[in-house]
Amino acid sequence: MSLILCRQEPVKRPFYFEYLGVRIFSSQELCYVIYNHPLLVLDGFVDESLLEFIREDLDMAFFAAKLEKWQKSGEEEDELLAMILHECDYYSATEVGRFRQQLAAFRRLSQSELLKQKADFLFQKNQYGKAVSIYIRILDMARADRGSDSFTAKVYHNLGAAYARLFLMDKACKAYEKSYDLVNNEEVLKKICHLSQWNPSVTPGERFLSLMTEELKEVCKEERAVANENAGKAKSLLELENLFQKDPIKRFQGAGELVSKWKKEYRNIMS
Amino acid sequence: MDGLIIGLDLCDAYTRICCHDREKSWSIPTVICKKKDEEAWYIGEEAYAYTLVGEGIIVDKLIKMVRKDGTATLGGTKYEGLDLLKLFLKKIIKLPMEEFFCEEIKELVITMQKVDTKLMDALMYCADSLGIEREKVHIISHTESFVYYVLSQKKEVWGNQVGVFDLSEDSFHYHELKVQRGLRKMMVIAEHEALEESFNLDILDTPSGGKLADKILSSCADRLLQKKLFSSVFLTGKGFERHDWAKDSMKVLCSRKKVYMEPELFARGAAFKGMDYLQDNSAYPFICICDGHLHSTVSLRVLHKERESQLVVAAAGDNWYEAKSSVDLIVDKQDYVEFMVTPMDPKQKRLVKIGLEGFPNRPDRTTRLGISFGFLDERTMAVVLKDKGFGELFPATDTVIRQEVML
Repeated sequence: MSLILCRQEPVKRPFYFEYLGVRIFSSQELCYVIYNHPLLVLDGFVDESLLEFIREDLDMAFFAAKLEKWQKSGEEEDELLAMILHECDYYSATEVGRFRQQLAAFRRLSQSELLKQKADFLFQKNQYGKAVSIYIRILDMARADRGSDSFTAKVYHNLGAAYARLFLMDKACKAYEKSYDLVNNEEVLKKICHLSQWNPSVTPGERFLSLMTEELKEVCKEERAVANENAGKAKSLLELENLFQKDPIKRFQGAGELVSKWKKEYRNIMS
Repeated sequence: MDGLIIGLDLCDAYTRICCHDREKSWSIPTVICKKKDEEAWYIGEEAYAYTLVGEGIIVDKLIKMVRKDGTATLGGTKYEGLDLLKLFLKKIIKLPMEEFFCEEIKELVITMQKVDTKLMDALMYCADSLGIEREKVHIISHTESFVYYVLSQKKEVWGNQVGVFDLSEDSFHYHELKVQRGLRKMMVIAEHEALEESFNLDILDTPSGGKLADKILSSCADRLLQKKLFSSVFLTGKGFERHDWAKDSMKVLCSRKKVYMEPELFARGAAFKGMDYLQDNSAYPFICICDGHLHSTVSLRVLHKERESQLVVAAAGDNWYEAKSSVDLIVDKQDYVEFMVTPMDPKQKRLVKIGLEGFPNRPDRTTRLGISFGFLDERTMAVVLKDKGFGELFPATDTVIRQEVML
């Protein structure tokens, strides 16, 4: 339990962190992003724009020069990230040590596994467009590098889910079908069934139509009804209803804020 | 010197003005008069003169008027007390500027018997409209002026206790200071007492009245100076401009101590303080505990470079009006802010906790807390806690907590 004293930082041009679609305004935010999103900062994070941000806006010219020198001398990038965490006095030495271990664990993974974890993480953060491009990168890898069929099926499955969140239903259906082809997982079949029920324009292949039993279709229907009911009780919907109860000026202002928030979210999802 | 360092003793009856390193000073009644048929303003004796010949309308007790948000109607026009004070200050500040052919004010230190936020704000407003930058204007109590005046004298003057009797037309005050030499820093503790025995100075014009006044002063001196070791005693105010009435009291006052007459003691003290504001290193390296200064130190326990330390937000001896600060802190696993208030007697130190009610729930270390401190008087601290969020990762909300803390 404590209160951490903040450095006075004259940030004029915040650092844009593309993966999350956010601007970073302080050394504490920079540390938070590094520590909590190690998969997103593993490769190429410490670049010229970050060094400029540290030098000019965080007013840490000496430290930026040190990072630059280490970078040029071919030091591991993981060490540079740990140095940033250490210098900014936001995480304790123990936490920085834990971060180092976490990076080392990631480095032990195969390239395809590391990429999948990164894509899954982006999926969790609603960055579906970015997740899709990484899943495709994995699938473009040579079969030997990619891993087992079971691993590839998982990648196809997650790719399908990401496409579905992007409302690209045909592509989602095809990805699920490929996943099913590899491991014959009933859960994947159910998802194909859901997709076709939810969006009638989506037509699964003949083979899948025959696999979808009446019983499965009934289960999907029931699940959809429950999901629809839950959606009606969503907090965001309640907030929207509250907004419409307000007087016209506040309603208009609130609607403006909400629309710009949605726009931002949508851009992040699609990019 | 290119610029004046002005000490201004502003009272309801008389106002005294002087400049650092300049001998000449002015003492004029705090009155302002407007000519009946034209937009011309006069202050002091000139104001009385125009009023006596029936050409002007006079207004007095300007300080009281400002305190009460009062107004005065002159020639059919209603004037706010604040506007009249502004006109008065403009005229009086002109006196040294014209005398010394100087157009720049380096520091303006205004000293008053009683300092409160309302009057301070009013004086700052006046300074704004007179084109004097706020950084150059300071408002201090008579007690503080007394401290600066005395400590600008030779050491033998303040080796032991020092007292000052201030006898003016509307009040009788006693101030006393003592210098305590500490291991780290010298401390000056100064106190003041408004004496109930105040009297109208008109009684000094008759022999019987003079005798009565002498009796009053000697009994006050007896009561206040006994059993203490004094190095010196000062006499100031309109009442001591002549002292032929105080024969018996002088015997009491002059016994085993030096007595000085200094009519502009407070204005001079303010000018010394003004000079000190211009120095990089203060010529008065002491903690001053008196009216207008904080009697307690307020600190926050913070984590810096993984070490716990006390961040002092206001220290005992700071001028409460000028003691304003703000700091940004990151909250880590706690939903409150805790201040440590340490009075002069460290045994009485205590903790004051303010809960962060209404602040959004966020992960640890993702709430930037903006804390601003100010003082409403020397015993009341006003704290404002603001949720500044954590950049775009956790946007700020408009949650604000305002609380007053009694020190």
